[in-house]
Amino acid sequence: TVTEQSTAIPLPGVNILIKGTATGTATDFDGKYQISLKNGDIVVFSFVGYNPVEITYTGQSTLNVGLTENTAQLNEVVIIGYGSTTVKDATGSLDRIDSEEFNKGAIVSPENLLAGKSAGVRITSSSGSPGAGAEIRIRNGGSLSANNSPLIVVDGIPLSGGSLNAINPNEIESYTILKDASATAIYGSRATAGVVIITTKKGKSKAPFNVEYDVQASTGQIIDKIDVLSASQLRKYVIDNREDPSFLGNANTDWQDEIYKHAEGGIHNLTLTKGFENGSIRVNYNLSNQNGVLKTSQYRRNAINLNLENRFLDDHLKVNVTSKGSLVDNRFANEGAIGSALFFDPTQPVEGNWGGYFEFEDADGVANLAPRNPVSLLMLRDNRQRAKRNISNIVLDYKFHFLPELRLNVNAGFDYEEYDGRFFTNKNAGFNNLNDGQFADIGTYDGINKNKLLDFYLNYKKNFDGSLLSGIDMTAGHTYQRFYNISYSRNRNTSTGIYDVPLPSIPFELILESYFARANFTLDSKYIFTATYRRDISSRFSKDNRNADFPSAAFSWLASDEDFLKDSSVISNLKLRLSWGITGQQEIGGAFPYLGVYSRGDIRSQYQFGSEFIPTIRPEGYNEDIKWEESTMYNAGVDYGLFNDKITGTLDFYYRKNKDLLQYSQVPGGSNLENFLDQNVGETVSRGIEIGINATPVKTKDFSWDVSANFTVSDVEITKLTLTDDPNFPGQPIGGIAGGVGNTIQINALNAEPESFYVYKQVVDAGGAPLEGVYVDLNGDNIINDSDKYRFQSGTPDAFFGFTSSMNYKNLDFNFTLRGSLGNYMYNNFRSANGYGQAILNQIGDYYGNGSVDAIKTGFINNQQFSDLYVENASFMKLDNISLGYTIPFEKITLRASLIGQNLFTITNYTGLDPEISSGIDNNVYPKPRIFSLGLNFNFK
Amino acid sequence: CTSEIDDLKPINQETSVSVFDNPDSYKSFLAKIYAGISISGQQGPAGNPDLAGLDEGFSNYLRLYWKLQELTTDEAVIGWNDGTIKDLHYQNWTPGNEFIRTMYDRILYQIGLVNEFLRQTSDDNLNERGVDASLREDIQTFRAEARFMRALSYYHALDFYRNIPFTTEADPIGAFLPKQTNAQDLFTYIESELIAIDSELVPAGLNEYGRADQAAGWMLLSKLYLNAEVYLGTGNGRYADARIQAEKVINSNVFSLEPNYEYLFLADNDLSNEIIFPILFDGLYTQAYGGMTFLVHAPVGGSMSPSDFGVSGGWAGVRTTSAFVQKFPGMENSADGRELFYAAGQTLEIENISKFTDGYAIAKYKNVDRSGSAGSDPSGEFPDTDFPLFRLAEAYLIYAEASLPSRGGGGDANTARDYINLLRVRAYGDTSGNISTSDLTEDFILDERARELYWECHRRTDLVRFGKFTTNSIWPWKGNVPGGTTTEAFRNIFPIPTSDLSANPNLKQNPGY
Repeated sequence: TVTEQSTAIPLPGVNILIKGTATGTATDFDGKYQISLKNGDIVVFSFVGYNPVEITYTGQSTLNVGLTENTAQLNEVVIIGYGSTTVKDATGSLDRIDSEEFNKGAIVSPENLLAGKSAGVRITSSSGSPGAGAEIRIRNGGSLSANNSPLIVVDGIPLSGGSLNAINPNEIESYTILKDASATAIYGSRATAGVVIITTKKGKSKAPFNVEYDVQASTGQIIDKIDVLSASQLRKYVIDNREDPSFLGNANTDWQDEIYKHAEGGIHNLTLTKGFENGSIRVNYNLSNQNGVLKTSQYRRNAINLNLENRFLDDHLKVNVTSKGSLVDNRFANEGAIGSALFFDPTQPVEGNWGGYFEFEDADGVANLAPRNPVSLLMLRDNRQRAKRNISNIVLDYKFHFLPELRLNVNAGFDYEEYDGRFFTNKNAGFNNLNDGQFADIGTYDGINKNKLLDFYLNYKKNFDGSLLSGIDMTAGHTYQRFYNISYSRNRNTSTGIYDVPLPSIPFELILESYFARANFTLDSKYIFTATYRRDISSRFSKDNRNADFPSAAFSWLASDEDFLKDSSVISNLKLRLSWGITGQQEIGGAFPYLGVYSRGDIRSQYQFGSEFIPTIRPEGYNEDIKWEESTMYNAGVDYGLFNDKITGTLDFYYRKNKDLLQYSQVPGGSNLENFLDQNVGETVSRGIEIGINATPVKTKDFSWDVSANFTVSDVEITKLTLTDDPNFPGQPIGGIAGGVGNTIQINALNAEPESFYVYKQVVDAGGAPLEGVYVDLNGDNIINDSDKYRFQSGTPDAFFGFTSSMNYKNLDFNFTLRGSLGNYMYNNFRSANGYGQAILNQIGDYYGNGSVDAIKTGFINNQQFSDLYVENASFMKLDNISLGYTIPFEKITLRASLIGQNLFTITNYTGLDPEISSGIDNNVYPKPRIFSLGLNFNFK
Repeated sequence: CTSEIDDLKPINQETSVSVFDNPDSYKSFLAKIYAGISISGQQGPAGNPDLAGLDEGFSNYLRLYWKLQELTTDEAVIGWNDGTIKDLHYQNWTPGNEFIRTMYDRILYQIGLVNEFLRQTSDDNLNERGVDASLREDIQTFRAEARFMRALSYYHALDFYRNIPFTTEADPIGAFLPKQTNAQDLFTYIESELIAIDSELVPAGLNEYGRADQAAGWMLLSKLYLNAEVYLGTGNGRYADARIQAEKVINSNVFSLEPNYEYLFLADNDLSNEIIFPILFDGLYTQAYGGMTFLVHAPVGGSMSPSDFGVSGGWAGVRTTSAFVQKFPGMENSADGRELFYAAGQTLEIENISKFTDGYAIAKYKNVDRSGSAGSDPSGEFPDTDFPLFRLAEAYLIYAEASLPSRGGGGDANTARDYINLLRVRAYGDTSGNISTSDLTEDFILDERARELYWECHRRTDLVRFGKFTTNSIWPWKGNVPGGTTTEAFRNIFPIPTSDLSANPNLKQNPGY
């Protein structure tokens, strides 16, 4: 019997081979095997992820073997672009994260599994809304207007962006994060922002039929509320300011209590697997139901994942079919209620005349520009969407009969999504009754996103024992991908009550075709050289700019295999890595930015000639010269293992320069048909240090404790912004805020971090209290105007870290993940837009608003939104995830029960609800709830 | 496969090659050029903007033009917190001011549109497409109108910025850096264009409503000449030419004063025979958040009833200063019927600009017709009211001003007096407000222009021409002090936006900025 040594659990499917022969067998479901041997035969027991064991046969009738897990995981297979390698042979900076290491809990979106797990990788949930995705940043990205999100490749299919929610987190086997250009350059023009490769779970051959059922029930609630004036505070405030108290109501309503609720959720996974002699099958059904903490928000996913694998022709041909189907139903809450709850007069009641809800009225009905009843906004609007998606592919992998070292791999797949939605407004809703003649706002929308893929490559891989060239691994191939998106919408015209005839929808189409090659040479088993090359052809650019080449090179040295380190008791593994590579970026704007086209105007943008209305046509601006943004990255890294790999880790330094930045920026006035266009102008430089450490402080038979930590320091600087870099040009304003139409609070400026805040320097009195409207005259011209603004920090952290601890005591396990960020700042837009007297008192009709308690604290009368007072240090540490689990091995079933808390506490000086908002601007963000869940996992044997 | 990439072409979207297969496209393109002043993009009221970098509603040509001409003066203040909007009234704007920047972008955009239209309708292109003779004849008229619209925008550019990047249909699209022009060259160009197209435009009064005719050309030329001394320097006045062009308008006998002053600003002002060139809006088919939507909604607030204005709600933004109120004898109770102040619940003086009830409101633009019925949009959002860009009263005022001895533009003082009295009889309802020739002074003309043409995008240009925009006069909150203070003369023109200076090395900033 072959068992897992520490747990004594039988291992099925272990390969058993008589050394030097082709004779062998494998263990059965119970870890048992039979083999005929003669004395002196050396039997090799090998199994993926375990250290191989060799035993010389000396006539025993039974050979019981305990395999130990390969803790160093050096031989662990890592999926990389168009192939795989082992941890040991990898030359680039990449990180593999397995399902055991994922964040636990009621997680609906795959991105959130990774938060805090990898150095250089930042995951920021976009909102607390159920099913909301997250922003992934690998090494910050370095683009300004172009996409800074990594390329996501699921089982070999590069996705076209958008939600990852079609992937069931339960079904993800591992993530590989490719960070440096040596690893990413094989993906060419889409790789500048890094690559995330997702591999889903597959069955194991020769495994027994297995049923697993997993259920998680969760409950979430908001962690805190924003400090607004209470009803009694507002009454006092109105009287203190000598305003008319007769506008106030008699109620005491906490609008935040009215719009939020406890949110329940349930996640079910039923998985069936069976292994055969030559293959396996795995089927998973998932139902995820998640209510949002904001009333009426709801998310439901029904998904089926299917994986079939079979080997033919004496294992020479491997066929793998994967299909992921999902049906996602969303009810989107009207998130306008979040801001409205903060701004709505707490002395007014919830209920009233407008569809059952109170609204402010004037002589003509509902007061036109008054705040809207937050509860009404939620309850009287219904916006639902259903998205159907299937991601499927078939991979054929053929080892040539005459040359088994040569493989042909063909991957054909598609990603197809259809969605349709409709929204409906109650005709009695106050927010719908701005005028007697107005019709209810009703509409539908739908669309299709599809993407098809065909790629193939040849791989030749051979190891040579004893020669100087100890191994070669060469790949060359071709890939083709075509994207197509279209969307339609039809809205009822609220003036006429009839549906406007929409203009024909314009589809987005993109074809990417590439040739790629990779060569990997190992000399003396210690020196590994890798070179990659990719040529991309994109339909996005004109014929002259369509082709681009993306090369990379890397070298790694397995220093610990050198004689002088081989016997070191301290250093068990040491690998040095150096790499260089060029990648591209093309994800910007429309499908044909280089082509002049005409756009038709709709029915409401006509112009009258005489008595006739003439529809208009508009020539669009274009940029014939548009081409790829190009990024060059250098990386130096060390992988190390100390004390027999009790401590392992990595250390990486990188330097990246992006040039010909794709920027949506001002064109020279008069030179084109638009004032802003996508253009290649500007440069950024990014640098960073990434440290990862894994350690096993304790490992005994009953108790083990693993910790891992990562720490990242990084920065990005704009080194060229415009054509002339006029020193008087403050930069491109970005970062829209509430509190005035078109206002921005951030700037992309030369020699500064992208998205720096651009604000006035607040003057304070002797006691430290800010003086209203008094700012430092930074340019000394005795006029305070926008020339006196300065750049102050940004929303991007200077450093961030993650820390995970996993403890196992017998059948009990306990895990937690801490995550934090330093030097990230946040513009508190709620304070700035609602923290002054006029925001509350100066309304257009006979009513008041509400606002931040800041209005009382600062005593500000007027809006001071550009003051640096509102840019707060939002450094934080979060206990993201904590879980306690207990496994009970019954005879026929293994039961695991777990209790999980998510988003338990946050330590920060930031005064808003959440210091982690990727834009750096905190304005009515759907709050991220604190969630507790109970999970039960039944594994039927 | 590579050929598949080469073959990929836009679907449901026309290129410059295919779009003109449809002969209606020429007229549609011309309509776009006109619509360029009134609306902000291809989706009404918003959603597919022409310009980026500023909220679409704000980026509207007429809205920006109005703000730069009115908020910078004693005629208007605005209470909102939108970026640097208050700097316009404070006269402390910088080259980074987004309203000044977007006006500049909007003007250049409009010129670019015309250039493209002229390129697409060149003889070569029309020959190649085999356009038939009757359409070609129409297209010649379209071309003249397009050139008028370009001259109009260049005139705005000259007045606001003087030294702007200059392009014509002879320039390409894309990779080139336009050269900066100067006041003299630009003046000469606008003048020559307007003279050149005079014979190609439809005779005064004979074009379709909304389209420019010869009279529109004369008015623009007259305004250009009237301000020539400002643009070209002291001693280079062209007042006689200004008078001659104004006389052409007056003597064409196509236009007549609207008997009721208020009717000029109502939803059915297309009925008025006084308007020479309007910018058109429609509640259902020409929708935008700029233009008249702004001009009707933004001045309504306080105790004003939105339904009196034919709209669903006021935006409570724009009021006026006491300096302007005082131009009317008797102020809000003036016998001059052009006074349309709304004083109930409003204070004369402004303590807090952000507070709508500080400062008198003005009830001039309304989305109701002469019988008081609201316009066509049942939701009360988008007005039918057209904007009177040029109207006959201005021609009278130009004649009178050019005829002043100090201007030396010739003309007859008695005629001038009579023209002014036509306006004053309408204003007073009788002859009680009439003036004599001795009343015709520069100060009187400046004030009379304010009384007649306030909030119609004239004030800043007028104050500059009379030397009172920056240095020689004050009004409340000018210079960002409650009582007002003078500002430096370099602010008589606006700066070249830094955004363009950084994009185009050919450009130099205007002096003082």
